[in-house]
Amino acid sequence: MSISIPELLVNDGFILPGDQEKIHDFSERSGLSYVKIALNFGYISRKNYERSLINAGFTFAPIRNEAFDIEVLKKVELKFANDQVALPLRIENNKVVTLMSDPSNQFFIDFIKFTYDLEPEIIVANDLDITWLSHKLLGEKYVKASVFDLLKRDPKSSASTTFTNPQLIIIFVMIGIIAVGLVLSFKNTSIIINVIISTFFLIAIIFKLFLALVGSRFELHQAVTKAEVRDVMDDTLSIYTILLPVYKEDKLIKKLIWNLQSLDYPREKLDIKLLIEEDDDKTLKAVQNLDFPAVFEVIVVPFHMPKTKPKACNYGLHFSRGKYLTIYDAEDIPDTDQLKKVVALFEKLPSNYICIQSALNYFNRNENFLTRMFTLEYSYWFDYMLPGLDTLDIPIPLGGTSNHFKMDVLIELGAWDPFNVTEDADLGVRAYAKGYKVAIINSTTYEEANNDPINWIRQRSRWIKGYMQTYLVHMRNPVTLWKKIGWRGFLGFNFFIGATSATFLAYPLLLGIFISYLIFDFSTMHTLFPDWVLFMSIFNLMVGNILMIYINMMAVFKRRYFELILFAIANPVYWLMHSAAAYMGLYQLVVNPFYWEKTNHGLSKVNNPTNVIK
Amino acid sequence: MKISKTQFLFILTLILGAYYLVIGVYLNHLGYYNQENIFYIEKTKIVFEGLGNRIKVMGLTSPLLPFYATFIFSIFNTCLAPVIASAVGTAILFYIIADALTKRINDDFYLYMLMILFFLHPGMLYAACSGKAIYLVLIFFFLFFFNLLKFYRSNTTFHVSLASMCLVILIFCDYKFIWLTLFFAPLVLAITVQSLNLGEKESIFRLFLSFNRPSLRRKLINKTFAIYVILFILPIASIICYKLLNLTHANDLNYFIESPYATWSVLVDKLNYDITATSANYQLPELSVMVSVRVICFCPLILLAVYLFRKSTYQVLTILTPFAFIEFLHIKYDKLFLNYEYYLIFLILSLLCLVFKAQAIKRQNILKIALLVIILVQLYTGYIFLSQSLITDEKSFITTLATHEVNTDQAESMEMAEVINNLPKDSHVLMDDAISYPVAAFTHDIQKLTLPYQYLFLSAIETPYYYDNYILIATAKNPFAGYTQLNNKYIPLIRIVNSGVNYKRVYETNNWILYQIVSTQ
Repeated sequence: MSISIPELLVNDGFILPGDQEKIHDFSERSGLSYVKIALNFGYISRKNYERSLINAGFTFAPIRNEAFDIEVLKKVELKFANDQVALPLRIENNKVVTLMSDPSNQFFIDFIKFTYDLEPEIIVANDLDITWLSHKLLGEKYVKASVFDLLKRDPKSSASTTFTNPQLIIIFVMIGIIAVGLVLSFKNTSIIINVIISTFFLIAIIFKLFLALVGSRFELHQAVTKAEVRDVMDDTLSIYTILLPVYKEDKLIKKLIWNLQSLDYPREKLDIKLLIEEDDDKTLKAVQNLDFPAVFEVIVVPFHMPKTKPKACNYGLHFSRGKYLTIYDAEDIPDTDQLKKVVALFEKLPSNYICIQSALNYFNRNENFLTRMFTLEYSYWFDYMLPGLDTLDIPIPLGGTSNHFKMDVLIELGAWDPFNVTEDADLGVRAYAKGYKVAIINSTTYEEANNDPINWIRQRSRWIKGYMQTYLVHMRNPVTLWKKIGWRGFLGFNFFIGATSATFLAYPLLLGIFISYLIFDFSTMHTLFPDWVLFMSIFNLMVGNILMIYINMMAVFKRRYFELILFAIANPVYWLMHSAAAYMGLYQLVVNPFYWEKTNHGLSKVNNPTNVIK
Repeated sequence: MKISKTQFLFILTLILGAYYLVIGVYLNHLGYYNQENIFYIEKTKIVFEGLGNRIKVMGLTSPLLPFYATFIFSIFNTCLAPVIASAVGTAILFYIIADALTKRINDDFYLYMLMILFFLHPGMLYAACSGKAIYLVLIFFFLFFFNLLKFYRSNTTFHVSLASMCLVILIFCDYKFIWLTLFFAPLVLAITVQSLNLGEKESIFRLFLSFNRPSLRRKLINKTFAIYVILFILPIASIICYKLLNLTHANDLNYFIESPYATWSVLVDKLNYDITATSANYQLPELSVMVSVRVICFCPLILLAVYLFRKSTYQVLTILTPFAFIEFLHIKYDKLFLNYEYYLIFLILSLLCLVFKAQAIKRQNILKIALLVIILVQLYTGYIFLSQSLITDEKSFITTLATHEVNTDQAESMEMAEVINNLPKDSHVLMDDAISYPVAAFTHDIQKLTLPYQYLFLSAIETPYYYDNYILIATAKNPFAGYTQLNNKYIPLIRIVNSGVNYKRVYETNNWILYQIVSTQ
C-alpha cells in the first residue's frame, strides 16, 4: 500500500485541496508532521481519519501493551516522536517495530532507517495511543524536571517543605506562650488575644475597603480599547500557547472545542495543549470519540507524584512553542478577543510586565445560591481587589486561569511550583519578588461556578491550603521578603494572602463569642472585653460586615448583575462555608500538604454561550 | 521658586486653619461656649478619665462622628478640642472645594470668591470657630452631592458608592439627614429612566415606554432597585445596626436621639423653642411654611446654581432635593427651629454647582459680576441670619465676635465647677449630667463626680450618703429642672428615706445648689 495518506484524505473528501496546501506549508514551517497538524488544528476529526484509513485497508492496532526495548527508545527524542506521532518500539525480525499514525510519513520512515540502519515494520495506531505511549515511555526526564526543577534551582521558593524548622519552633513557642498565659492569667491573656485579633481584623477590613475603592475607581479605565484590538495585525502575531490541564473532564471536551474555536486568533498561531494525566482514559477516550475536528494537541502527563495541576503545566511547558502562554480550565469561556487584547497590552506595557491577569466570572451565576455567592465573590475579587492591588503596586495573587505569561520569563522564574496547590498565587508573589510586574486587563473569562456545596468546600479547601502554603513559603525569611518586595508589598502580602486564611479560621470562633454574648450574661463577657476592646470588636462586627457586604454589592452593580445585589446580605453564611473549608485546608496542610482536591466540573445544567466580543 | 497649585492651596488652607483657630481660641477666651461643644468636652473627659460604663458613652454619644473628631484633638487641650476640630475641619472643607474648583476651572477669580466666603462669611466663621459639628455636616454634604453629580456623568459604581458612604457619615454627623433619603426615592426612578438606552428623549414617554415593554420593565425595575440598594442600603443598615446597639446597651432603640445623656440637642432645642415661643415679643418667623424663601434670601447663589443646571433635569431635581428636605424638617420637627447649618448647606451646594458649571457659561464677565454681587449680599445676609437667630448659641456667637465682649453664658457653670474643683480631693459629688454637663465639663477631675454612666449612679440616687459627700441640685429656676431627678424636690424626698442624714447648702447660684451630705448619726 504505497498510497500517501494526505492524498487519501483529499480523495475521500475529508480534506480540501486548499487546506492540503496550508497543512503542508505549516508542516514545513513548524516541523510538525502532516497528521499532527491535520488532527490537531481542526482539519479532520479522528473518526474520519480512522474511517478513511480503514477503508483504504489499514487496521488500527491496540498498542498500549506492546513490548519495547529501552535501547531502541533511547535513540528517539520525545519531542520528535510527539511531533511526528510515531514511535519506534523494538527490533524484531531485523526490523524496527514502529508505531505510526500516518504510515506514509516518509520523513519518519527515513529517520528510522538512518538511525537504526534497519527497515521499519509499521504498526498503524491511533495517534492518541501513540502519544500516550510516547509520553509514558519517554517522558520520565521531562516529568522529573517538572517536579524537581524549581526545587533544585530555588529550593527556598519550593513548597516541598511545608513547615521549616524555624517556623515550627515559632509556632510551638507561640502555642506554649499562649497556653502558659492562659493558665497563669486567663483574663489578661484572653484580653491580649482579643486586642490582637480585633486590631488585625480592623486593619484587614480597612485595607480591603481601601483596595476596593482604589480598584473601583478605575472601572471605566480600559487597559486595551476596542480600536487597539482592531489594529492588531494577524500577520504580526506570535505563537500563543494555551495550556488546558484536565483530569476526568470527559463531559466538557465538546464544550471546550467550541470555546476554543471561538477565539479570535489565527488558528496556526495557536499552540493549544490539552494536558491529560496518564491514568485518565475517560478524557482520552472522549477526545478520541469526537466526531468533529479537534483544535488542540493532546499531551499525556506520565505518572509522578505529586499529581497536581502545576506539575502537569510544567510538563506541558516542555512541548510549548509559544511566545506567550496562558492557562484555561476545560470549562472556561474567555472573551473571544482576549488573546489579541493581551498581545496589544504586552506591547504597550514596559518589558518588566511579564504576566497579564484577566478577570474571571461565572456563566452559571443564577443556577443556585452557591453560584450566586460565588459570582458575588469573584466579581469583587477580580473587578475591585486585583485592580486595587495592581494600582497600589502590591503583589497580585494570580487567579487559577486566564493568566497570560511571557514564556521566556515564565521559564526563567522556574514556572509553577508543583508542590503548591495554589501555584498561581505563589507564582504571582515570586514574580513580584524578582522585580517583575503583573497587569490586569479588561477582559473576562467565564467559568463554571461550583454549584455543589461539598464540591465547593473541597475546591475552597485546596485554595485556602494553597494560600497557607504560599504564605509559609514566602515568610520563611520575612526580612528578605520585605527587602525584595518593599513594605507595601510586604504588608499587602500579609493582609491579602496571610490574612485571608487567618480570618476564615477566626471567623467561626468570633461568631461563637458573639452569639454567646447575645445569649449569655453580658457581664461575664465584659471581663474578657474591656471597654476599648469591646468597642473595637463591635465596630469590626458591625462596620466590617456591612462594608464587606457592601463591597460585594458594588462589584455586582458594576457588572450589571442587578439581580444578585441582595444576595450579598447572605455573605456571613457564605463565610461560614469558607471557614469549614479553611479548617479542612489546615488539616490537610498538616497531614497531606500536596494533595490536590479535585474540583468536579461539568455539573452545571446551564448552557454557556460563547462570549463573543464584537 | 515656583509653587504648584496644590502647594498653593495647601498653604492657603494652613493660613485659613490658623485664622479660624485664632478666632476660635480668642472667642473661647472671651468665654464663648455652646451647648454642643460643652457636651463633647464632658463626654471626652468621661471617656478618657472616667470610671464606669464608658463603652456606652463611647459608642452611643450622638452625633457620633463629631464627638470622635473632638477625641483626636483632645490630646492638645480637652476644652479647646471642639474648636480645634471645627477650625481644622472647615479648613479641610475649603481645601476640598478649592481643589475641585481649580481642577475644573482655570480662572483664579472663582478661587478668590471662595476665599472671600471662607474668610469673611459669618456662617463659615460660625462653622469653623464655634466648635460645633457643622463643619463635618458641610464636608460630607458637599462630598455626597459631589459624588452624586459625578455619578450622573460617569455612571460608575465608584461614585455612587462613595456618595452612599458620604451619606452614612452625614447621617452620623446629624441624624436628621436620614430624611434626605426620602426625597431621593423618586429621583432615583428618574435617573434610571434617563439611563435606559431608548430612542425616545422626552422623560414621560421614556417612562411610558419602559413600563409597557416587559423586557424594559424588568430592566427598569432591576436597575432602579439596584440603585436604591447601592445608594441607601449602607445608611439604612448602619442605622439599623446602630439602633440595635442602642437597644443592647441602653435598652432603647432611639437612645442616641432621645436621651439627654446621649445627645445635647434633645433638651437644648426644646428649650430654645419654648423660651422663644413664650417670650413677650412672640417672634416666630419660621412658622411660615416658606422656609425655602428664607433659604433663598440667605443664599441667593442657589438660584444661580439652578440656572447653571437648567438644561439637566435630574441635576436640577437633585439640587432642589434639599429644599424639600428642609421643608420636611420644618413640618416634622415643628417644635424646633432650623439650625444655621441647614441654611449653610445651600451655600455649599451652590458652590458645588459653580464648580461643575461655571466654566461652561460663555458670558464669563456677566457671571463674575453677578457672582461678586451675590457673594457680597450673602456676607450681609449671613450676618443678619446669625444676629437675628432665635437660637441662643448662634446669636451669642455673632454678638461675642462682633462686640469682643466677654460672654457670660457659661459663667455660672464655671463658677459651680470651680467650687467643686476646690472641694477636698477625696470628696465625691452626685450630679446628673443630663442637664449639668456644663458643670461637669469644667470640672478638672471627672472621677470626683458620680454620674449616670456609672453603674453605682442609681444606688447613689437612692442612698447618696453611702457613695457621695456632695449633691448638685438644679434649682426651681433652672429651665431644665424638670428633666432631672436631682432637682428641688429631691432633697425633701431623700430626707424622708433617711432622717439620720442632713444636707447642708454649701454653695448656691441661680440654677444650682451644692449640698453637702452631713451625717448626724
